[in-house]
Amino acid sequence: MAIREDVIVIGGGLAGSIAAIEAAETGASVRLVTYKKSTLRHASGLIDVLGYNGSDDPIADPYAALDELPDDHPYSVAGEAAIRDGLERFDEVVGDQYQGGHTDTNALLPTFGGAVKPTARYPTSTAAGITSDTRSMLVVGFREMTEYNGQMLADHLEAAGVPFEVKGVECNFPGTYANDSRVTRFTKRLDNDEDVDYEGTTMGAREALAKEIEPHLGDAERVGLPALLGDEHADEVHNDLERHLGADVFEIPMGPPSYPGMRLADTLKDAVDEAGVRISAGNPVVGFEAEDGELTSVIVDSKGREVPYHADEFVLATGGLVGKGIDSDREEGVTEPIFDCYIPHPEDRYDWFDKQAFGDQPFAHFGVRVDETMRPLSADEAPEFDNLRAAGAVIGGADTVAEKSQSGVSLATAVVAGEHAGERAATHEVHQ
Amino acid sequence: MSNKPHVIVIGGGSTGCGIARDLAMRGLEVTLVEQGNLTHGTTGRMHGLLHSGGRYAVADQVSAEECIIENRVLRDIASHCVEMTGGLFVQRPEDSDEYFQKKLEGCWECDIPAEELTAEEAREMEPYLAKDIKRAIKVPDGAVDPFRLCVANAASAEEHGARIETHAPVVDVLKEGDEVVGVEVEHESGPGKRVHREPGTREKIHADYVVNATGAWAGQIGEMAGLEQPIEVRPGKGVMTVMNTRQVDTAINRCRPKGDADIIVPHETAAILGTTDVEVEDPEDYPENQWEVDMMIDTLSELVPILKEARSVRSFWGVRPLYEPPGTGTSDSTDITRDYFLLDHEDRDNVKNFTSIVGGKFTTYRMMGEEISDYVCEKFDIDEECRTADVPLPGSEDFSVLRDYMEQYGIRSPIGRRSAQRLGSRTDEVLDFDGPNPVVCECEAVTRAEVKDGIKGSGSDLNATRLRTRASMGNCQGAFCCHRMSAELYDEYDAETAYDAWDELYQERWKGERHALWGTQLSQAALKYSLHSTTMNRDKDAATTDSVVDFSAFDSGAGTGAGSSAAGTAATDGGRKGDD
Amino acid sequence: MSDAEQASDFDPTTQVDEFEPVDVFPSSEDMDLRPGADNCYKCTSCDTSCPVAEVDEDFPGPKFQGPEQWRLKRGEDVDIDDSILSCSNCMRCDDACPSSVPLSQMHNTARGEYVEEHMDHNSIEYLRNRMLSNYRSLASIGSKIPRISNFFLGLGITSTLGEKLMGITSEREMPEFAHETFRQWWKKRGGAQVSNPDKRVAYFHGCYSNFNTPEVGKAMVRVFESFGYEVMVPKQQCSGTPMFANGMLKDARREAEVNVRELGKAIENGADVIASCTSCSMALRQEYPELFDIEGIEDLSEHTYEAMEFLRIHEDLHSAIRESEVDPQSFAYHAPCHARNQGLDRQAVELFRELDGAQIEDVGESCSGISGTYGWKSEKYETSMKIGAEMFDHMEHAEGEVGMTECPTCAMQMNHGTGYEIRHPLELLEKAVAN
Repeated sequence: MAIREDVIVIGGGLAGSIAAIEAAETGASVRLVTYKKSTLRHASGLIDVLGYNGSDDPIADPYAALDELPDDHPYSVAGEAAIRDGLERFDEVVGDQYQGGHTDTNALLPTFGGAVKPTARYPTSTAAGITSDTRSMLVVGFREMTEYNGQMLADHLEAAGVPFEVKGVECNFPGTYANDSRVTRFTKRLDNDEDVDYEGTTMGAREALAKEIEPHLGDAERVGLPALLGDEHADEVHNDLERHLGADVFEIPMGPPSYPGMRLADTLKDAVDEAGVRISAGNPVVGFEAEDGELTSVIVDSKGREVPYHADEFVLATGGLVGKGIDSDREEGVTEPIFDCYIPHPEDRYDWFDKQAFGDQPFAHFGVRVDETMRPLSADEAPEFDNLRAAGAVIGGADTVAEKSQSGVSLATAVVAGEHAGERAATHEVHQ
Repeated sequence: MSNKPHVIVIGGGSTGCGIARDLAMRGLEVTLVEQGNLTHGTTGRMHGLLHSGGRYAVADQVSAEECIIENRVLRDIASHCVEMTGGLFVQRPEDSDEYFQKKLEGCWECDIPAEELTAEEAREMEPYLAKDIKRAIKVPDGAVDPFRLCVANAASAEEHGARIETHAPVVDVLKEGDEVVGVEVEHESGPGKRVHREPGTREKIHADYVVNATGAWAGQIGEMAGLEQPIEVRPGKGVMTVMNTRQVDTAINRCRPKGDADIIVPHETAAILGTTDVEVEDPEDYPENQWEVDMMIDTLSELVPILKEARSVRSFWGVRPLYEPPGTGTSDSTDITRDYFLLDHEDRDNVKNFTSIVGGKFTTYRMMGEEISDYVCEKFDIDEECRTADVPLPGSEDFSVLRDYMEQYGIRSPIGRRSAQRLGSRTDEVLDFDGPNPVVCECEAVTRAEVKDGIKGSGSDLNATRLRTRASMGNCQGAFCCHRMSAELYDEYDAETAYDAWDELYQERWKGERHALWGTQLSQAALKYSLHSTTMNRDKDAATTDSVVDFSAFDSGAGTGAGSSAAGTAATDGGRKGDD
Repeated sequence: MSDAEQASDFDPTTQVDEFEPVDVFPSSEDMDLRPGADNCYKCTSCDTSCPVAEVDEDFPGPKFQGPEQWRLKRGEDVDIDDSILSCSNCMRCDDACPSSVPLSQMHNTARGEYVEEHMDHNSIEYLRNRMLSNYRSLASIGSKIPRISNFFLGLGITSTLGEKLMGITSEREMPEFAHETFRQWWKKRGGAQVSNPDKRVAYFHGCYSNFNTPEVGKAMVRVFESFGYEVMVPKQQCSGTPMFANGMLKDARREAEVNVRELGKAIENGADVIASCTSCSMALRQEYPELFDIEGIEDLSEHTYEAMEFLRIHEDLHSAIRESEVDPQSFAYHAPCHARNQGLDRQAVELFRELDGAQIEDVGESCSGISGTYGWKSEKYETSMKIGAEMFDHMEHAEGEVGMTECPTCAMQMNHGTGYEIRHPLELLEKAVAN
């Protein structure tokens, strides 16, 4: 029998998951259709609301800065309440796994690039690294890894004027590894506390790691490590390390592979499941059917065969240029591949970028434009479809990368889209 | 004080490095000065073709003959810089039969081994050729890495006592009366290897002779020397569009009279599409146009259709140093010969001890070097034979590529193989590394050992290390390895130097990548941007911007003090393993 | 930030306007997959999904094995690292890649090339892999004298010799041959008991359901007949799954030619092809068109379904299940990796949740570790058990003491690690709707 739901959400990343949960809360039957793994796995796991607006100075209170944003910024369209709702929903979903909800103020966290960045919510495993905390810090890097050098990172933090003593060290990761062992191997070793040989004695990997770091501790009260401290048993790993070291331990947010990002993706998946949302994973949405300006179904490509999935309401949360929700081509320009939603962009490809690598990049603004209920708008500002909404990075209109606002935009737009989709689907049912 | 004459060579391109090697091997004292990295000029911005001469076999037979001779020499002395890919001149149905015949015969006339192939035979060699091609001519083209070649020439020169100074632009040509007595350079840092943030000095270098091998800048040097008759170099720019993978393993030429977009050269892991030919005023500042990039892809996909959908990672432009003797009066710069000219300024301009060598092409660099070295040696009555064609360059000495890289160095064989191809006979010396040796640039298979070796030779300039190792030249254009490369600088240099070098490399990669921003490369660039801006916040890095951060205005954590940090207090089965 | 995406445009076996790579790449060994590296944007999602890299520090991961290794290739310069043999072909990397890099196609092709060109065809390793890959041929002999075969295979000395001489682990118990194969049963019962030219399915039973667990095949037949389908059981050979994983692409092609021909005939007669083993359906749907250019292979791929997937789409399976009931029983369900890649990982759990009397729990996302022939090799046994450890743990914590999965080798692994009996979802479905 045909697959039929009240609401179908396309895309299982941060925005899609939250939109699905939000829609399910209204009582609607929801199916999340997702193709590959979420780009959260590449991201640091930090949840940014608004870090910068034009100047080089980090913003301490993002809410106070909202007024200065242009009218077509997704935050201006969604409204402050949506941002707060989005964060509330996020806080509910992640519970103890994250910190930062106790204040509106941004936190400044160190990242593996050596710079300090403003963010609104940060994994508990990274919390002890907060740079407004004045306790002395030791930054540890590993010779087996190339992502950063611990001493170089520490020096750079010092150059940024952090209010604490910081030094760095390069250590060896306990156990034997090939030159190209994957990061997952290091993590698994800690997760399972596998036995390793440390200076002639056999012991668990966690203890060995602590012993490796200890001689460099000095009077540091907190120790930063690459973000690979466990997967299934991350909490245990963290606790054990702190216990053995007698100091707080924190993960330094990193790029891919990013365990905090992966853990967040897992948490979201569990939350989606618990909310009663059905999940169809592994096949892409490739098309749609519509009648009288309303979508009737989306077409899923099941290994060469096209299967329609019917619903009353749809949410597009397929991501931006990175998540592959937005395509580009020398001839076609910039497009949204499923519904062909309008994406404003300069016709001349050479107007898509700035000559400076960190200049104001037009391509960072690519995405659909939406109305206040998150419906993507066509070039003449009418909704593309009455029952299609968008959430997350597929929405454009701001350089969320430079602003450090992407996660906040995803959350805010997701709760609006999810709630409206769920409620409107309920009205459909009544009329049927 | 030695009796050896001291010669200054201005220009660290193929010509300059070739001359430096030749003169040094003949026992002269040599100083080479170059404004940027070696190959800063045309040499570093070419399509990497080691000509068989086929391209000149119809219209410029002098150049063609020189090419085939030197092609063979370079294969011998520079084996670790050259890949003998072979070449094809491919005729499409709309291309003239007459020209095909002329090409074939022209090759034979110039002693270039050329063989006619049917379309099937050509497509068997190169499966991605268009199915409607007519036929092809097979020639011994090759692919060459110009930087590796120049570095090897410079290393050989140094082995023979030469001094090589990069990042040392000439600011004045020193004269006493009508004699040139040396040059003044402005070292960017040092003298010696370039190190960021180390202030440079000006230096006057005196010499018995000065050779101007600056290619497109020859006229500028001539001006500094006060020549009455300017050296009229007519710079002609050309685009090179770099594809992410090798669509072909053979150099593919279009068999029709010289025109734009008629060559695809495999180069290391990539393929380079070339080129255009537009005269420009200034070899340093000229427009980089979209139509040139589009033309490369659109026209060359007539030969290799898969190019239309394939991924380009960047485009760059080079400037040909075209020269013709005054009075030749060619109007269309694309018709100017690729032959080279030796201009003795004593005869031409009454300025002594000063000669320029202009025109020419990469493939014949050694021959140019030989001719001018002969010329200079004669001036000093030095009767030494040129041996540059007989002695292999450092790195190209005999070495065995058959080895078990895993067993010997703990690295995967494809990685070992690529490293060995770059390092040549220095492979053992470099890869025998103490400590963990992870891969730093995954796209191009460059291990830590090789990066550190590159740094040893380059100072803190990561672009120079990039040129040596190919790190950051793959799919991601440095997204995942700019920071890793800079981390490798830290042993030798401090953090701020390392970060400066990282920023410079990052911007340099962007310069070329921005010409490929569509499709997968745009997606890649967006990921790079997210990683470096959102995750790392390098764009607003307080250590490098003017921002003064008030840390106390920000969240200092949920709890206060040590031990109450929320880290680790989430509900857990904590301590299970601890119950031993 | 998420995932929905178009199917990859890259496919060297389809015809493109101006050129026919089909002509130029007559067999998978000759294919040039370097263009596949174009899609990769180095996000390492594949590496973090690889169950082998997580437990084996000597395994460089799918990103290296696939797009990186291929991109470093230069024409004839063949240089595949031997770690390609440590890849279990679980295909989880495909499922993770946001850019649709043809990872498992690259791995399978590289592996085929490696085995063909670099492996000593007289070595024990090669002979053992060949033997394991050609299970069907051996089973067809052994199943003719099932009791004797079972007796010998069950002897301690057999497994000891197997390990010492062939490198087949003695830790595992050889699967037993059924006393009557599925095909023998089918013949005895007189073939199809329902006739309906408009509702036809051709059953691809796979080696295991034929020789070892015919109850799965019987369940399939009974369930489909209860929905009014005419079942055909065409001549067929191995789907090739163990051959891909061992780089024996010539063997796989040989089997594929027969399958394409015979199943093609059934398709012409209006049938869709149904597989009960998720590795078989995976092979027919994805690996076939990726690796071979046999005529009719695309057609076969498009007409192949997994058994319950077919019923979900063409019948009102949810209602049928909601209206049924079974005796109270609890199951610990494991989604095979190859099911995950077909988007079928939630199917059994979401369906059987609605079945009165049945309690079903998903034991998590990890790979079972055995990956077909992989876990049978003595040098890979420990790795396979390390990978499966998480699954065993979740199974023991689950309420059910009976396992459930669509894949026969996953079933072996689940049983080996926990001692649980393992059922195929079709068996539960049979109890629900076909009694």
